[in-house]
Amino acid sequence: MSVYREYTKRVYEINLLESEDDVIESLSRERNLGLNLSELKKIKKYYEKEGRNPTDIELEAFAQSWSEHCCYKTSKPVLEKSIFKTKAPQNICVISEDAGVVDFDENHAYVVALESHNHPSALDPYGGAATGIGGILRDVVCMGAQPVALVDPLFFGPLGFDYAKLPDGVKHPQYLFKGVVSGISAYGNRVGIPTVAGMVEFDESYVGNCLVNVGCVGIVRKDDIIHSRAGYAGDVYILAGGKTGRDGIHGVTFASAELNKESEEKDIPAVQLGYAIMKEPLIHACLEANREKLLTGLKDFGGGGLSCVSAEMAHSGGKGATIYLDKIPLKEEGLFPWEIWVSESQERMMMTVRPEDVDRVLEIFDFWDVPAMVVGRIDDTNRIKALYHGVKVVDLDLDFLLKGVVYARPQKTIERDYSDLDFTMPDLKEYCMKIAGSARVGCKAPVIRRYDHEVRGDTVIKPLQGVINKQTHGDAAVIKPLKNSFQGLALTTDVNPHFCRLDPYWGAASAVEEVVRNLISVNSIPHSLADCLNFGNPEKADRLGDFTRCCEGLYYVASSFNLPFVSGNVSFYNESAAGSVAPTPTLLGVGLADDVRKCVSSDLKKKNNLLYLMGETKKEMGASEYYRLMGRGGGLVPKVDVDSMKHKMTMLLGLMDEGVVKSAHDLSTGGLFVALAEMCFGGDVGARVDLGILGGLRTDFKLFSESNGRWLIEVEYKDKNRVEKSGAKFLGEVVSDKKISLIDGGNKTSIDLDDLRTVWLNAVDGE
Amino acid sequence: MLLTGNDKMPDVCVLLIEGTNCEKETQEAFSGVGLDAELVHLKQLLGDCERQRKRRLSDYGMLMLPGGWSAGDYIRAGAIFAARMKSKLGDELKDFVESGNLVLGVCNGFQILTEMGLLPAFKGISDVPTASLTNNLSSCFQCRPTYIKHVNKTPLTGKLDLGDVIQVPVAHAEGRFTFGEKQDMMLKQLIENNQIVFRYCRVDGSEAQEIYPWNPNGSIYDIAGICNPERNVLGLMPHPERVINRLQMTDWTRKDNGDAGDGRVVFESIAGYLKAIV
Repeated sequence: MSVYREYTKRVYEINLLESEDDVIESLSRERNLGLNLSELKKIKKYYEKEGRNPTDIELEAFAQSWSEHCCYKTSKPVLEKSIFKTKAPQNICVISEDAGVVDFDENHAYVVALESHNHPSALDPYGGAATGIGGILRDVVCMGAQPVALVDPLFFGPLGFDYAKLPDGVKHPQYLFKGVVSGISAYGNRVGIPTVAGMVEFDESYVGNCLVNVGCVGIVRKDDIIHSRAGYAGDVYILAGGKTGRDGIHGVTFASAELNKESEEKDIPAVQLGYAIMKEPLIHACLEANREKLLTGLKDFGGGGLSCVSAEMAHSGGKGATIYLDKIPLKEEGLFPWEIWVSESQERMMMTVRPEDVDRVLEIFDFWDVPAMVVGRIDDTNRIKALYHGVKVVDLDLDFLLKGVVYARPQKTIERDYSDLDFTMPDLKEYCMKIAGSARVGCKAPVIRRYDHEVRGDTVIKPLQGVINKQTHGDAAVIKPLKNSFQGLALTTDVNPHFCRLDPYWGAASAVEEVVRNLISVNSIPHSLADCLNFGNPEKADRLGDFTRCCEGLYYVASSFNLPFVSGNVSFYNESAAGSVAPTPTLLGVGLADDVRKCVSSDLKKKNNLLYLMGETKKEMGASEYYRLMGRGGGLVPKVDVDSMKHKMTMLLGLMDEGVVKSAHDLSTGGLFVALAEMCFGGDVGARVDLGILGGLRTDFKLFSESNGRWLIEVEYKDKNRVEKSGAKFLGEVVSDKKISLIDGGNKTSIDLDDLRTVWLNAVDGE
Repeated sequence: MLLTGNDKMPDVCVLLIEGTNCEKETQEAFSGVGLDAELVHLKQLLGDCERQRKRRLSDYGMLMLPGGWSAGDYIRAGAIFAARMKSKLGDELKDFVESGNLVLGVCNGFQILTEMGLLPAFKGISDVPTASLTNNLSSCFQCRPTYIKHVNKTPLTGKLDLGDVIQVPVAHAEGRFTFGEKQDMMLKQLIENNQIVFRYCRVDGSEAQEIYPWNPNGSIYDIAGICNPERNVLGLMPHPERVINRLQMTDWTRKDNGDAGDGRVVFESIAGYLKAIV
């Protein structure tokens, strides 16, 4: 027998049992299965026991479920020793499903999910980013939750990157940036969920592989929480939403390999096509059916398509299932059964329903004009089966399929140079202007205003804050998700990949600290984290070493603050011929605001108010924006002092609850200077600041150090004593004259606010 | 949630199709001023659903077209919703409007009213649109707070004085009001008929002079909202339903006055009017 033999119409048996290693290896390569030889041999052994050969559909099932993207075969051992260990009493259902479910109030929980959509966005920025939003919305909906906010941290190469240096097959950062922002805007705005937070980072390492992370938060009544597992034997599978087509074939295996110059042609079928106007009613219908208690399980079609959703739901419920492949509605004639099995076409949800509730469920979907039909049945067999025109073409043991494989791959930690050589202080004013005008620091309004951030009317602290048409960056957005409660959810996304590249451990640790600072800034208590870990090829020891160090850093700080990781995603293979992306452990932080009426924004409020600095400024200049703009390497990445941070958090939250703090901003990229400038922009006022109180550090380090654990706050004169008791340092005052005046002993400089604002506003160009 | 049966008909029909997405906050805005607003899918007015879901437009005291991206707005914004309504609900809608019932369209709703010929409707409802809400001059979507000035009274804005300035956000890609070829003549007529209800302005109420960002989309004569000559149909690009409470105002942390957001007065005006005629 040759390798292929027709098994039934359009389905092939693959002669695994009698083929040599090199034959099956090349088969895996040709079919884009992404299975390596040892995995193929493991599969072969399974079929020897079964006494038969696999069908092509079955091999595809393994390719999906055993991909890095689906089974975390490399990352799992590392995660289990680090961030999976964070436990907290607020956790309701974490890590195990598509989104984390966390306690909100007596009757409600909030739901968090964060994911990458990197590879599709690198090829098709508009479509890739749009379907990223679609996927993350489904992850939240499939817990029974109403999505209330979207977030999107984005990472691109420098917008001014030299076209001549662009590697073959790589799209220019400017093109990717515009495409991604348009895609998010087009899809997010159409589905009517506000995009309230995010970040835009720039670095040369993202030239060959941009990163598009998307997160979503939802709210659910606790008695409406539903799980992604099949209910009972005898229930049926109902598929609702879009039709199945050839878009999104092999999305997960594509996401589990490096991009190269052939990707444009070879991998474009892996990118799905989104349709927001199917998603919007699909959400209504799913939530309505769930509220009426008509569903016994709900899960979205994501990576691995029907193969993964049908197998995983059955397995999680301790059941088995049969799928009728010819019942799946198709976008076009002629799809092979294996294509139906793995297609990642968008806007599809799978639910399990008791037979007596099927008609009612179908009526709800019909009312919303969303196609829905019975496509399978749940049983007690612990096997996933599929029939095609009555012939069984898949019959696999679910434990074997889904327990997958785990690797302890070799890893090493690369030594970095942290020496910080002396240099002469440059002109301060020049660097103040340079930093304010750098793309990393500059105003992100051209992105933020492309997204509807207040549809649904729940956004009480907006991403841009301050005087109308003079607005500035805030630290976190706040959503008030329930009509009859003043409790709020604060949202922020953070990571400094420049820190992580120089020092993966303290860089990742700093990311958690920045989340905490941002959530505190608006007067919310840090409550949970979601992670999206974007790294290079883990089969390379140094990449995996960075990954491990990052996870350890994340775990150290998060566990010290009792902050659980409730949901996450690992995205490896983010590299191209030009190398790996900087280690990018993106975090979405959620804070609880007891009373949104006490939230604080970042814009300065009134002249003659006083400015105080909380926290210690150290010479931790490694990977700072100041050093980067000077082209300086080395230096120490900021560390995290957990004990002192906890003390300051308590102090600051106390001052905020008393209404003493008029505005607050955390110090991060660009240090004290950038925080001060942004606060002045938002209030459209100036400030007079004396840095003398920060001690003997050189003036440029005082201004631009990115040490953790710091906030700049504004208070009224009458509260002077109250604030000074907390240990905050008096820096200066708010002035009506639109100038920022800085004094440090003999060093003096004064910057015109409008000039500074102009460079800040023009740092990142819009559409 | 869509109601499936009720004894007393609600005051307001909040009409939606796929892609409408401001219905939740719109419903809350009405309920916040004591009006009962029902979310109604267009299918329910057309009879294309189960019997108990069916509704009649004439049973309501007001029609509200909320914001969103009806049917995706992949062609001209509002065009598909308008076409569906016109073809199957045309006469009922005409009767409803000509009987003097209130109609409010916000954002996509304004676009739909314009597409249907309900605005500006110089000589009654027009068969073809005479005005258009087209691409913002910035050529991209804008989500930002704006100031608008109340320049003519309608029953839907009765609690505002002439010259009052309120801060209301916009969120649209196609909000630039234009008449196209006969711009000057038609604008003159719109002004003479006192059909311009709101104009974008600066914080102190002075003219925006079509300058961005005070005028966020390049609308002629800073037009933010207009009514029909009979004054019972109002279209607005800014979203008053998003600023019902103080905490929804973008700069509430800078102020300390009252609990109301600037948009509530529109809904209070409607409530006052509807309650007075009952």
